[in-house]
Amino acid sequence: MEWINPYHLQVASFVLINVLLGVSIYVTLSTGQLSLGNAGFMSIGAYTAALLATNFQVPIPLGIAAGGLLAGAAGVLVGIPSLRLSGVYLAIATLGFGEVVRAVAINWESLTGGAVGIAGIPQMGRVILARSRDLGLSPESLGMRPNQFISLLVFLILLAASTLVVAFFLRLARSRVGRAYAAIRLDERAAESAGIPVTYYKVLAFSQGAMVSGLAGALFAHSTSFISPADFTYHRAVEILIFAVFGGSGHILGPVFGAALLTTLPEALRTVSHYRYILYGVLVVLMMIFRPQGIVDPPLLRRLRPGRTGGAA
Amino acid sequence: MTAILALERVGKSFGGLTALSDISFSVEAGEIVGVIGPNGAGKTTLFNVITAVFPPTEGSVVFDGEALGGLPSHAIARRGIGRTFQNIRLFPAMTVEENVMVGRHCRTRAGVWRGVLRTRGEREEERGTRARTRDLLDLVGLSGADPGQAAGSLPYGHQRRLEIARALASEPRLLLLDEPAAGMNDSETEEMFRLIRRVRELGVTILLIEHDMSLVMKACDRLVVFNFGRKIAEGTPLAIREDPGVVEAYLGFQEGNGDA
Repeated sequence: MEWINPYHLQVASFVLINVLLGVSIYVTLSTGQLSLGNAGFMSIGAYTAALLATNFQVPIPLGIAAGGLLAGAAGVLVGIPSLRLSGVYLAIATLGFGEVVRAVAINWESLTGGAVGIAGIPQMGRVILARSRDLGLSPESLGMRPNQFISLLVFLILLAASTLVVAFFLRLARSRVGRAYAAIRLDERAAESAGIPVTYYKVLAFSQGAMVSGLAGALFAHSTSFISPADFTYHRAVEILIFAVFGGSGHILGPVFGAALLTTLPEALRTVSHYRYILYGVLVVLMMIFRPQGIVDPPLLRRLRPGRTGGAA
Repeated sequence: MTAILALERVGKSFGGLTALSDISFSVEAGEIVGVIGPNGAGKTTLFNVITAVFPPTEGSVVFDGEALGGLPSHAIARRGIGRTFQNIRLFPAMTVEENVMVGRHCRTRAGVWRGVLRTRGEREEERGTRARTRDLLDLVGLSGADPGQAAGSLPYGHQRRLEIARALASEPRLLLLDEPAAGMNDSETEEMFRLIRRVRELGVTILLIEHDMSLVMKACDRLVVFNFGRKIAEGTPLAIREDPGVVEAYLGFQEGNGDA
């Protein structure tokens, strides 16, 4: 079992959390709304799960679900007034929301620990390790060192979560609701006249995006065991946006690909990791010039899957 | 006969600009009523007021005996008023089939969970939607088009027909057609005429904005004439042709502007 490399698994785990974040911006974008507040919703999910686990010993799965749901509820509250905004105005307002959440996290010290953050959040892998030791199952019996076992567990949990979420939205895209989303993105007025309650679906998509961000945040908190406001800054919001811009936002696999590539690239090029944001900037400029729709778009996917007609098939 | 649509002293102003004022007329079930008038007379605004894209600032729109005041556009579509747009508004990146399927939205029910879990009820509903879509594509003469093709890549005339199919998918009892024959040649216009008649035979009442006078005269049972946001005449095509006020509106416009 020597081939299990905890470091690689950790990078892969961050990839998966970023995949979730990429999906979160995609979901909202699929109704034509650009939300840059997903770092804020991620923060709500992370703090909810962390506080429930550290203060009330709530079981981790429950805390994670609560984090996602609370972020989704916050998404409804932010989504409704945001309906009046579109395009760049919506982006600015939601970016502002993210900063408000961060300011609250920094200043409400009695609850959030302020700028220092929350440490000692139960780490999913360690908790499961302890449980399985109680049951008499040790990683050594599987030929693994404890840290290999822990990273593998975290990776597998995140893999399951992100696979489920991607599958959920892939299926949704091909359903009646998904068609309504696409119609709203392409022409709101025509969609409304065709009988689609545009307001309802825009708030729904906004909230779904927020919920996925919150889920990512909660999983993040239980993977790293430490969170602070510095994890959910403006940079995080921009990073999420770049997953969608770089990967493409016409299909869910676009931001998934963007998140995967842009998370592994800086790790692969450790020597230049200081220049990460410069690299991002250059990439975005090049993308805007050569492939404004992002790397992955529906025509590309059709070409990769001959014999399948995309969309309605 | 009963009025399926009745406008009662409807007015619409945008700030200080009055686009429609004091419009009253009604449409009987099963009729094809033409709305004509020079450019800028308020015909499209009338459609937008009926479908609550811009709610009227005065008066009321009564559909099937019930006032539509306060209802949003999608609820009006659900009540049974479908429409097309003067500048075709399809969902260009969606397929031909999907465009029509979107029109079925208000007649189907599967929500998020049923769609994701693909429950038996949802699969049945989707099958029904697809079957209905095929029938409608057939009806508008698009059975030859590839249903998986992007709607935006269809030729212009076909896009007009597809838009009508999408509107029909919501099972309207009243269909508002905004210049369906615009930009079409004589044979295409003739086909559009036949399609409009076929739609009426399905029991759909039609309100038609059209500049092509030969089509209007042929297709419509009655005409309502607009000029400068007011109704200036109403009657059978024959009577309208003889109406001195209408002739003056058209000719006067022509003299002043050199426009038809």
